[in-house]
Amino acid sequence: MDMKKNKDTMDLLSEISGMAGEEPELLSARTDEAYVRLSEAGFERAALALAEKKFSLIGLFCAEAFEKESGFTLFYAFKKAGRAHVLVLVREAGRAAGREGKAAHGAVSSVAEIFPSASWFEREVRDGFGLEFSGAFDTRRLFLHECYPEGFHPLQKTFKNGPISLRKPEAGKNPEEYRFRETKGEGVYQVAVGPVHAGIIEPGHFRFNVIGEPIFSLEIRLFYKHRGIEKLAEGKSPLECVPLAEAVSGDESAANAVGFCTAVERASGIAVPERAECLRAVLLELERVYSLLGDLAGMAVDVGFSLVASPFFILREEVFRQNEKLTGSRFLRGIMVPGGLKKDISGPALEELPPFLAKFSRTFESAFERAMSSSSLIDRFATTGVVKKELVAPLNLTGPLAKASGCPADTRLDRPYGAYRRLSPEPSVKKGGDVLSRFEVKADEIRASVKLIKRLLEEMPSGPVFAENGPAAGEEARSDVRPGYSGPSGYSIALVESPRGQNLHWVYLKNGRIDRYKVRTASFCNWQAIEHAVLGNIVPDFPVINKSLNMSYAGTDL
Amino acid sequence: MNTSFLLFALLNPAFALLAAPLYMALIRKVKAYAQGRKGPKLFQVYYDLRKLMHKEAVYSPTSSWVMRLTPCLNLTALLACSLFVPLIFVPEPAGGFGNVIVFLYLLALERFFTALSGLDAGSAFGGMGSSRSMSLAAVIEPTMVVAFAALAFVLKSLNLHEMFALTAGSLLPASPTLVLVSISLFIILIVETGRLPVDNPATHLELTMINEAMILEQTGKNLALLELAHAIKQLLLMGVLINTILPIGLSAEADAGKIAVSALLFLLKAGVLAVVIGLFESALAKMRLFRLPAFYMMAFFFSALTILIEVFA
Repeated sequence: MDMKKNKDTMDLLSEISGMAGEEPELLSARTDEAYVRLSEAGFERAALALAEKKFSLIGLFCAEAFEKESGFTLFYAFKKAGRAHVLVLVREAGRAAGREGKAAHGAVSSVAEIFPSASWFEREVRDGFGLEFSGAFDTRRLFLHECYPEGFHPLQKTFKNGPISLRKPEAGKNPEEYRFRETKGEGVYQVAVGPVHAGIIEPGHFRFNVIGEPIFSLEIRLFYKHRGIEKLAEGKSPLECVPLAEAVSGDESAANAVGFCTAVERASGIAVPERAECLRAVLLELERVYSLLGDLAGMAVDVGFSLVASPFFILREEVFRQNEKLTGSRFLRGIMVPGGLKKDISGPALEELPPFLAKFSRTFESAFERAMSSSSLIDRFATTGVVKKELVAPLNLTGPLAKASGCPADTRLDRPYGAYRRLSPEPSVKKGGDVLSRFEVKADEIRASVKLIKRLLEEMPSGPVFAENGPAAGEEARSDVRPGYSGPSGYSIALVESPRGQNLHWVYLKNGRIDRYKVRTASFCNWQAIEHAVLGNIVPDFPVINKSLNMSYAGTDL
Repeated sequence: MNTSFLLFALLNPAFALLAAPLYMALIRKVKAYAQGRKGPKLFQVYYDLRKLMHKEAVYSPTSSWVMRLTPCLNLTALLACSLFVPLIFVPEPAGGFGNVIVFLYLLALERFFTALSGLDAGSAFGGMGSSRSMSLAAVIEPTMVVAFAALAFVLKSLNLHEMFALTAGSLLPASPTLVLVSISLFIILIVETGRLPVDNPATHLELTMINEAMILEQTGKNLALLELAHAIKQLLLMGVLINTILPIGLSAEADAGKIAVSALLFLLKAGVLAVVIGLFESALAKMRLFRLPAFYMMAFFFSALTILIEVFA
């Protein structure tokens, strides 16, 4: 990787050396991404100092045999809202517990007490790689439920994909049985909801502790839809891997595909042509529009106000139809490839967009007006499900959720990628943190997206849509699917702003093949907010709070 | 017993039984149109009931006889109620039939057993629904008593048959205060049938349910009986409201031709009311659970006002 030691990187390095009290070892750097190794003591000092300086832990992931023969390497990605730079602290973790379940060799210390967002990350690493974190306050299993056998860690390289025998969970007999927080007291009772729900919704278990109707604690348990996406990606060529990225979460397909492609392009030094970047941005914004329209409609449905919901549903369907005309896919799948777009989007389909958007805006405004002029709707939304601003940085909350709580962070503005380097969306921010603020922020985001699409279309450059040095250039395009394919090595982080917030994609290429692919969607972090948002609210208000946050279950559980 | 009442006892419950599901469907249709959808066919409700009647009932292992008895008991209670509210013609008074207090207690019996059966299955949602329903009942039941007391005050009788014999056939309500009582009756109709803004009959969100939560564990023919009972309850309360505010065409004689005209007019008036309910439901979001007593208080207020006017005017 090229070592562009620009001024920002040098500043960051001196900052780190001040925090850690030692000279850091710079592994590699790009203009907005630096990999730094510290001693164990230095790491712990730096972690404390980073937390103090309001950095968020945006990702913590592990890779086996990273730039060496064997052993595990941990990556702690830090970012501060408003700054483009991602600082990755690299930490060697030695060897993990074997399949026989022996104690881990050289457990590393947990940072979950300093960065609350680390708790799920560490449990995820523990399940996937068998690494133990000493001093962690929560060591329960995360994505591998108790039905998976002991000592089973699918992301270790020794595990080859194939059928495994699951064990039957027996209550009380399993040492790794999942225990929910227990509460005692007069009039306290638990309400268990899910994982199977009455509607067509994804599975998730919610354990409420209530006194009458008011909720005083909620614990969520997800990860009922593990598909092994990260494992499936291993050994694939980048082109083969795009459909996997698209499958992470249905209504973030384009965002995740762009995130993955951007990471690959950065890692292997591919420059995407301008037209492809602009078209990608158009598709990303269309995705944001339809996704957020679904949220607005869903929030109205959850308070029983279908008259307000239906125009949003209708508009969403219309956007889907435009998507299909543009790309052949209602969910914008199958068009993104590393290096640009699989094919150019035809002129007529693009020319249809501006008149469509003009009509869209008119209908949208009248539908929004109808919603906001209903006192019964406002009464349900205002003051319900407040997410406090103080939670945003420690839990790494992003997207409309954070914007509605007074934090205007947006990856498109902080760390612009693709066409957002030239054109940026209008920021929107509300201070309330309640369901109403999220409703308004999501409507603002839709308006901003529509404006941005119009500007992108006006300034749409012409030219190729595929990089000359792309991994699949020319007619041999599909050649990288063939078994003997090899290409460049490298690794990089890409952050994209999906409709739900900041998605992190990290790709490690070895000879052009994916050695490790890590996705962390906004939902993974945002889910933590719901346990705080419901406190003091009543049980019947939970559905609308949940819908206003609208996290993806699939995007959390790879 | 007189022949007029015997005829009534045959025709009125049969009419209620057959016509009740239609208005469930009509309200659903109106709501669908308001949202720009077509909605299911009007007769879909009948097909669904037939389908459910052919399905077996499944019981939770923790359930007792309450779960098995409730569906039959509720339908019986509501069919008994249908002897109290004249829909197609007003019979000559017979015994205690039509007594307002018995009518209210029959409704309370139905509510009580629905709540019990909600608890009986041992699921979290049933218990939640029962607890909500009972705490709200503590507010709506006195309100209902006051509303019917106001009705009795204005129409000078405790017997629904006698009350409506007085209003039958006239174009306008017998007394202007009846308009006030009608507002109360409309709110009671909305509350008792679990419609928006009190409860959302179309929701799939268990956590927000009140009425639906209690019958969540009911299956097959038991569910069909409960839904039928619910539909009849709605039709009867609609009947009380219609006979109060718009009694035109209601026959007080047991004459075949007049009964036919009266029944046809009732179908029409109930249709209009169903449209009004459908639009009312569309125009509001569901209220917060703890704000509901305020909504009930409106019904209480209008009824109490009527009584005051009647006493002092």
